[in-house]
Amino acid sequence: MNLIEFSDIRKVYTIGSITIDALAGVSFGIGEHEFVAIMGPSGSGKSTLMHILGCLDTPTSGAYRLEDHDVSKLRSNDLARIRNRDIGFVFQSYNLLSQLSALENVLLPCTYSTHAMSGRNERARARELLERIGLKDRMSNRPVEMSGGEQQRVAIARALMMDPPVILADEPTGNLNSKGAREIIDIMKELHAGGKTIIYVTHDDTIGAQAERVIRIQDGRVVADDRN
Amino acid sequence: MDLRDSFRNATRAIFAAKMRSFLTMLGIIIGIAAVVMLMAVGSGAKQSILSRMQSSGSGNLYLTAGARSNVLMGGGGLGGGNREGASAGAKITAEDLTYIEARVTYPIVVSPTNQTNITIKNGDTTMSGTGIFATPTYFEVESVTIADGRMISDGDVDNRTRNVVIGNTVQTTLFPNESAVGQPIRINGTSYKVVGVAAAKGESLGNSVDTAIVLPFSVGEKSFGVVHNVIQRTTIKCVDPTQSSAVTTEITDILTRKHKKVDFTIQDVAALTDMVTSAMTILTALLAAIGGLSLLVGGIGIMNIMLVSVTERTREIGIRKALGARERDILVQFLIESSLLSIAGGVLGIVVSVLGSDFIVSRFTTTEITGSSILLAVGFSIAVGVFFGVYPARTAARMKPVDALRYE
Ligand SMILES: Nc1ncnc2c1ncn2[C@@H]1O[C@H](COP(=O)(O)OP(=O)(O)O)[C@@H](O)[C@H]1O
Ligand SMILES: [Mg+2]
Repeated sequence: MNLIEFSDIRKVYTIGSITIDALAGVSFGIGEHEFVAIMGPSGSGKSTLMHILGCLDTPTSGAYRLEDHDVSKLRSNDLARIRNRDIGFVFQSYNLLSQLSALENVLLPCTYSTHAMSGRNERARARELLERIGLKDRMSNRPVEMSGGEQQRVAIARALMMDPPVILADEPTGNLNSKGAREIIDIMKELHAGGKTIIYVTHDDTIGAQAERVIRIQDGRVVADDRN
Repeated sequence: MDLRDSFRNATRAIFAAKMRSFLTMLGIIIGIAAVVMLMAVGSGAKQSILSRMQSSGSGNLYLTAGARSNVLMGGGGLGGGNREGASAGAKITAEDLTYIEARVTYPIVVSPTNQTNITIKNGDTTMSGTGIFATPTYFEVESVTIADGRMISDGDVDNRTRNVVIGNTVQTTLFPNESAVGQPIRINGTSYKVVGVAAAKGESLGNSVDTAIVLPFSVGEKSFGVVHNVIQRTTIKCVDPTQSSAVTTEITDILTRKHKKVDFTIQDVAALTDMVTSAMTILTALLAAIGGLSLLVGGIGIMNIMLVSVTERTREIGIRKALGARERDILVQFLIESSLLSIAGGVLGIVVSVLGSDFIVSRFTTTEITGSSILLAVGFSIAVGVFFGVYPARTAARMKPVDALRYE
């Protein structure tokens, strides 16, 4: 059974009298431990797709199954729990809280966890994650004091904090130079080797080529689904 | 999210915008200070009236000649001397008092007094004061204690001895350097001997003992032309103050039967006290309500700022939601923030009102900050923070994560 099952997912935006089919019936399945790149031109619906995958948004119609949850039927508290425990989301613009240090940002998901670790274990884990991605010396720095690549690595550590099986990354390298981008992709590969299911969005072909599977979308539809 | 985290977040957010937080609090500070101070003025007024009444003796009844329909009308203050409206020829006599004492079924202490204005002289120093002609029971029923020497005795009354007890002000004015006890003193030209000095009592309803001289009741007639058998004012102390209204009824009955008409007045301090208490309580509540209006304005200020803050932090809300914050977590976060603002404002408001009423308002009028007004203020500021915080917090809690994240 697939970890993720999308059946005929549609997302329609209505602005005044115009309707936009951001997703016009998308279906696919993604298995456990897959490493998938989603590619497509700007405005093709990639972010909309990722937001629905990440339970940040709900589809207009269609069915979404994640593990054994029928996500379209869940209430807001259950969705919050999935976002907290089952999915780590990495954004193009990092989305760190500017008033918090790197360490505090990484610890943030714990505050919303229903099964709490002890405060000391949490901190130990957060430190370990930051160390693993090479930010040992930046733990007490605030986001403004860090480069884009460093901020994105903090965001990845934060996504990993609750040890979710799935990591979703929406153009994680979009704001980074090629060196920064390479570092992020290397971390993604490492996480994949460690057993995580990774889905990331990019429009860089060389970065896309590193995935096991590439799903291409255009105008809200899947136009290709290739395994490398 | 545990409460400690929430409080840390809230204080961080409040301190991140110090000036704005302070200005928001200012509304609450002013509101709470207004409530507490106005209540302090109200209950101060109540306290000062009540303490004057209490110092004239709780459970005391004042019996005077002449009928009067309303205890609050007419001149002379409570039980004070001759009044307008006294029916012609109406009088209370020593015989009336004996008659009452023989028939009243409740334990009472009776103190007949007459009084007149006098001139007091020691050596070259002269002052004017009140001469109170009384029996030993006077000291008990009026709660006058002796600071030095002794009080008027039964013997003084029986023998018309020219022994007197002087008030505290008389002592300090006429005998600034020595105790007056044992010293001679001239009253309206006649020499008397001071046997005691009354402790200072301050103002009370009726005349203060401080500027008075207490003389044996029997001395009045001969030397001062006070008609002995006519008693201007009789204080009747109910040993059990709760019986005052029953005693009033009974004495009214007894005396009406004897006089065949109601040509006298009995004033009940307890009944008056109750009336004043409830009137002043209403006044205090009214003042608090006026202060409450400014608190309302302060609350609207909090709501306004919280709405601004929710809008500014839309992205933060989106991030928190993306990381697993439930609606409740966001709601609580903003509610704690608005409540903290309001409570901090409330506490500062209490400080301001304590300082303000101690150093400023108390120069003009009596103030009393009661525990209940402080409790009320704290309760109100929590309530204001929660009430005016709910709408902005709900707005924040109900945002869709994706909309909040896309917000620029
Ligand atoms: N909140 C929204 N309201 C209206 N239209 C939207 C909204 N979000 C996205 N869209 C539209 O949906 C389409 C897909 O957008 P998006 O998923 O962001 O594309 P991508 O991430 O591939 O660039 C675009 O045409 C975009 O304008
Ligand atoms: Mg996008």
